[in-house]
Amino acid sequence: MKRDRILLAAWFVACFVFSAITHVWWLMGLLLGMGGLFWRQAARAARRTLLSAVPVTLFIIGVSWAWTSLVLQQRPDGYAYAALGLRTILIAFTSFAVLARVDLLAALAPWPTLMRLLVIILGQIHTLRLLVTESWLGLRSRMPRKPGALDTLRGAGGITSTLFTLANRNARDISDAMRSRGF
Amino acid sequence: MHIPDGFLSPTITVPAFAVAAPLWAWAGRKHFGPDRVAALPAVGALTAVAFVLQTIMIPVPGGTSTHLIGATLLALHQGPLVAFVCESLVLLVQALFFGAGGITVLGVNALAMGLLGPLTAWLVFRGLRRVSAAGAAFVAAYLGMQVSSLAVVAPLGLQHHLSPAILPTPLPVLLGAMMLPSLTVSGILEGLYTSLAWRLLERMRGT
Repeated sequence: MKRDRILLAAWFVACFVFSAITHVWWLMGLLLGMGGLFWRQAARAARRTLLSAVPVTLFIIGVSWAWTSLVLQQRPDGYAYAALGLRTILIAFTSFAVLARVDLLAALAPWPTLMRLLVIILGQIHTLRLLVTESWLGLRSRMPRKPGALDTLRGAGGITSTLFTLANRNARDISDAMRSRGF
Repeated sequence: MHIPDGFLSPTITVPAFAVAAPLWAWAGRKHFGPDRVAALPAVGALTAVAFVLQTIMIPVPGGTSTHLIGATLLALHQGPLVAFVCESLVLLVQALFFGAGGITVLGVNALAMGLLGPLTAWLVFRGLRRVSAAGAAFVAAYLGMQVSSLAVVAPLGLQHHLSPAILPTPLPVLLGAMMLPSLTVSGILEGLYTSLAWRLLERMRGT
């Protein structure tokens, strides 16, 4: 538990330090260094970074680049955008690699209320996301054409009602189960 | 909508953490102590719903997308401090497990989307609810969304002013990219969602 907390604290400080670096070569070197340091988790962390952080970062940088070119009528500084992308990727990779080695629930043990709230939230996210996806697919299957924004808004009432009922029931069940187990 | 890791330097993120941390401690002690255990499921449920709402991307013209926040409903239902803690938890879960947002910008994002927006919405709702609760919820959520968006743009603009090497995008570009979708799409949707959900929750509370 102590090792987990030390690793979390080191990761926290490292993220802040990384967020101040503006040199592309430094960032690339650190990315390689982190890959070497966490070589066991590197493949998984790289995959998660590629799937989550990289597309969003590229999208935001692309939109920023296009907007800046359009508004200022000049090509923005490419080096700064490259550093921005690398910085984001470095922090995301380090976060995934460190968190794969840490038992978060054990690290949160001194704060039982926070832990219970986190478990309630995490326990429901998958179910609720499934419900939203299934409701959308249901709406789509009931219509001969692809549902537009107005159709989605009309269907939102039913989805929201189910979402709240299910979320409330699940949250109570999880909370009761944790309390009965001494959390 | 929220700021990713790497977009702000410690000159902004550290002071934001310094402001947010005592507020988290105070709100946690006040609203999540041992005597508030019974309220945890409802708070957890609303937080999970807010999380799910934030994962639904709404495409807007120009190739970008926006999303609802969902924290306004929490603020109207449980109070702005509870909304602040819950929105911070949503941001934390997104940063740790889904690679969205980030840990260094948690303070900035939490203050913008969890405190300033919901607090504005809560104040507006308190002022207008005697006229019409559902209408007040709509107006409150719409204004809360605009305040949150402005509060996200402000540190980004400040970062560009302090060091363009960290963030090369200037303030006018940021303002346009953030405020146009917020004013025309996500603000209205957040208002509709909050108004609808508020009525549903009131009905559930009555039964």
